[in-house]
Amino acid sequence: MLKNLYIKPIIALCLFVLIFACSKSDDPDPVHEEEAITLVTLEVSKAGSSETTEYNFEVEGHDHEDEDHADEEEEDHDDHDGEHIEIELEPNSSYDVSIFIYNDTDPNNVEDITLEIIEEKDEHQIFYEIMDELSGFSITSASDDTVDSNGNPLNIKTTWTTTGETSGEVVGYLIHGPTSKTGNTRNDFGGATDFEIDFEVHVE
Amino acid sequence: MSFLSFIAELFNLKLHKCKCSRCCTVPITAVSISLLAACFCYGQNCNLKFEGQILDLHDNSPISAALVQVLDDNQAVFSNDKGFFIFKNQCSGKIKLKISHLNCEDVYQELNLNKSVFKKFYLEHHIESLEEVIVEERKIKKLSSTASAYSLSDLQKDQYSGRGLAKALEQISGVNVLSTGNVISKPMIHGMFGSRVGIIYDGVQIENQQWGQDHAPNIDQNAFEEIRLIKGAGVLKYSGDTPGGVVVLENDLPMINDSLYGKSILSGMSNGRGLSFVSSWTRSYNSGNYFKAQAMIKRMGDFSAPKYILSNTGTDENNISLTYGKNKILSHWKANFSYFSQEIGILRSSHIGNVSDLVRAIESASPTIIRPFSHQIASPKQSNKHYTAGIQYSKRNRSNGKLYAKYSWQRNNRKEYDIRRGEFKIKPSIDLRLDTHDLLSNYQWERSNWSLDSGVFLQIQDNYSNPLTGIRRLIPDYIKTELGTYFTASLSPSNDFSLGFGFRFGHQNNHVKKYYKNKRWNDENYQDQLGAFVINEVLNQKLVEQRLIFNNLSINTGVKFPLTEELKFSLNIFHTERAPDIAEMFSDGLHHSLATIEYGNPFLRSETTQKLVLNFEEKIGKFTYEISPYYTRGQNYIIIEPTGIEYTIRGAFPVWEYRPVNAIIRGFDVDLSLRLSDLVELKNNSSWIEGYEKATKTPLINIPPLTTTNRILFSFSHWKSFLMSLSSKTIMRQNQFPNHNFEASVVENGKRVNKLVDISTPPKAYHLLGMELHWGPYPLNSNKISLSLIFDNVFNTSYRNYLNRLRLFADEMGRNVMLQIKIYH
Repeated sequence: MLKNLYIKPIIALCLFVLIFACSKSDDPDPVHEEEAITLVTLEVSKAGSSETTEYNFEVEGHDHEDEDHADEEEEDHDDHDGEHIEIELEPNSSYDVSIFIYNDTDPNNVEDITLEIIEEKDEHQIFYEIMDELSGFSITSASDDTVDSNGNPLNIKTTWTTTGETSGEVVGYLIHGPTSKTGNTRNDFGGATDFEIDFEVHVE
Repeated sequence: MSFLSFIAELFNLKLHKCKCSRCCTVPITAVSISLLAACFCYGQNCNLKFEGQILDLHDNSPISAALVQVLDDNQAVFSNDKGFFIFKNQCSGKIKLKISHLNCEDVYQELNLNKSVFKKFYLEHHIESLEEVIVEERKIKKLSSTASAYSLSDLQKDQYSGRGLAKALEQISGVNVLSTGNVISKPMIHGMFGSRVGIIYDGVQIENQQWGQDHAPNIDQNAFEEIRLIKGAGVLKYSGDTPGGVVVLENDLPMINDSLYGKSILSGMSNGRGLSFVSSWTRSYNSGNYFKAQAMIKRMGDFSAPKYILSNTGTDENNISLTYGKNKILSHWKANFSYFSQEIGILRSSHIGNVSDLVRAIESASPTIIRPFSHQIASPKQSNKHYTAGIQYSKRNRSNGKLYAKYSWQRNNRKEYDIRRGEFKIKPSIDLRLDTHDLLSNYQWERSNWSLDSGVFLQIQDNYSNPLTGIRRLIPDYIKTELGTYFTASLSPSNDFSLGFGFRFGHQNNHVKKYYKNKRWNDENYQDQLGAFVINEVLNQKLVEQRLIFNNLSINTGVKFPLTEELKFSLNIFHTERAPDIAEMFSDGLHHSLATIEYGNPFLRSETTQKLVLNFEEKIGKFTYEISPYYTRGQNYIIIEPTGIEYTIRGAFPVWEYRPVNAIIRGFDVDLSLRLSDLVELKNNSSWIEGYEKATKTPLINIPPLTTTNRILFSFSHWKSFLMSLSSKTIMRQNQFPNHNFEASVVENGKRVNKLVDISTPPKAYHLLGMELHWGPYPLNSNKISLSLIFDNVFNTSYRNYLNRLRLFADEMGRNVMLQIKIYH
């Protein structure tokens, strides 16, 4: 009986020591950021033309470029605000615009998130909100756009139509879990914003 | 039930010993029966020797001068100093024994003798001094000789059996609940929470990543019979780094007798359409063995605010705890295991993407997502599991010293699920596994007017962040080791006068391996200070290995004496040093509910606080009051604050970072009680607190506003078992708050506008009325039953609570009616 009383704490102590004798000292694995959106590409081509212009909107994650000027944060976020990337369009024209969404955190394994969005089309919506100053400009879903199970186009492929000379912003959103799939302003869609990018459009 | 008694029987079988209270026969095996048959063939053998030893059941000490009689032939001997006795020249066959001793009930035993044998007999030896020990062991020890401890009554505790520990503790003045939604709630004592409040179960601090506001303690308070609280680091035996306070959860020691008892509580709640069932059973034996099992199951659906359903706020909880122990009065050992499992839905509309979404949520009067009522729990949600196992042993010696040793293991697994895409839908965004091992030992000396307690402790903690989440670790992998010692002394030269002193020293070593993003690394200029610790570079990230050492000394001193005959006074000073949490130093990630990015500060040093607590307690006729003012001064007091905006592709996010400040927190708690008659009692609990940064006088965030609760209790003397109470709780608006509002550029009606994002302004004052009706206990067969009907928020008031992190998104719960049936077995 007595022996029993001492043996148990001793066993516990041994276990305790044992657990730490073999505790791992390996380095933790780096995390692959799986769903992060790091690159959004707009492919713009004039209707009837085979020439395509690609605009890349890169955000965060890509530190290799600004390693040397860490202080210039202002400039750093300007890139994705789109102020330096201007989408040049001609008046009275129509453009086919396709949006591509990528995760290129790992340059050797670029993930195409557009495919995931198409797969979960009922839970996603792309919305382009045209600012007032961009007059005579419209965006509609293209005929080859992806349509969700209720017949709502996702706006992955769109047609941008210009009239007179103008310039201004188009704010592009990817909305996750929208409460409504149709609307005129961002507020109408609800849900959580996966990206919000200002596209600076120049029509001249 | 049958399972329990089966287990109990199993344990019982191992104990071949006799109990005083009843005679037991020693079972004879089949082998000896056949031997016996063989004996009869050869006739009687009368040269057998029968020897034995008489021992004390509780501590195995020999009992001398016990009279051992063979009843059939009137032979009798006394046991010697070592408890031995001997009968020579015995014949084979059945003999009847009677063992008697002055301080013990007689023991009768039958024995089949077929060869010379040696047997041990155990008597339950009731020496008077042992009885004293029994009484002392059973009574719950004072937590502190000088600081006031507040305990929850059974009624207070059981009422909240289905609503979590923090809400049960909120009944004590000066205790608030800091919450994220309606279920995730953690106790806040005198304006402090998280790692500044220690929750001690069974002598060990619970370790469950409870640093964050949205991480509630993973413990089932129903597994404990006693819940007590000290407002201040008053129990150095258990923790020295909790300036807010300590909550101590303990179990009573079962009586040494043969009994089976327990309690079951079934509660049904209208809001959330939920049920919770708690049942606990204790089986104790004359031998001092006992077995205790407790389980809880809870299912809750979506809660409702007065005007809408709070979608995805359901909870599931399953807990079980098992304890087996042996109380031999002078020595006691105990082994226990517990499992806690909880799944908590988080308000669906609080999962937002960026600041524009936050602006939309704040501007919307009701949550942006309201769905029909459901018991389903979907993402966003938390899934927490907590395992504990421990073994402890204590031994008392004759000079009233007590040696105690304990090993305890805890594992906490926290998984947080966000709304994600594709294969990651079912994967958690945060998956942390925290293993903690504690080894502690102490020695207590107790005399009538002084007591000393000193001990050593070792803690090893290993945190593992699963990298398969696909989201960068919020908390890095680390191993924390702490080795320390404590000493406490209390002196009571006279009955009313007590003095207390104590210290606790801990040496802590944090071995951390963390990945820093190159961008953050460069922005913060970490290269200069941390460059030497980089061990690897991969995918735009730097792996940094650091060993951070903290030495912390906490000291308490206090005095308690009567100022006048009726006015009791106590003064306590707590000096505490707390090493910064891993989260405070290294957290790195996005909080969806407030759309904030949170960064730790790797250069933090230990936080020091001095807290002075005065307590005045007086009874003037039918009026009793207790007033307790306190003053806390903190150096390197670690707070989290917004420091800027970070732009990501999701949009803009405010960045919150940890920063040390010099802080002052002061306030008072008041408890008043007036007994108007035998039937009616009036009570008031109020607390006021303010906290600010010393240099700038900026208020601290999340300081509870002035709260006052009035209660009127009726207990009708001719209805012996009926109690009714009406409570009116008023929570004022917090007017002292830091302004963390910021401007964000959002699109509105086709234009970009700058909007003020108001995340700071506290909500309006509110008033809640509650009613409680308690009947019972009434006898029911061999059990007792009692019934409670509890109404919360009777007027179905819509309100928002400053201390709820999700207050920007939705109102608090509306009216709730709870019916509770309690059975004492």
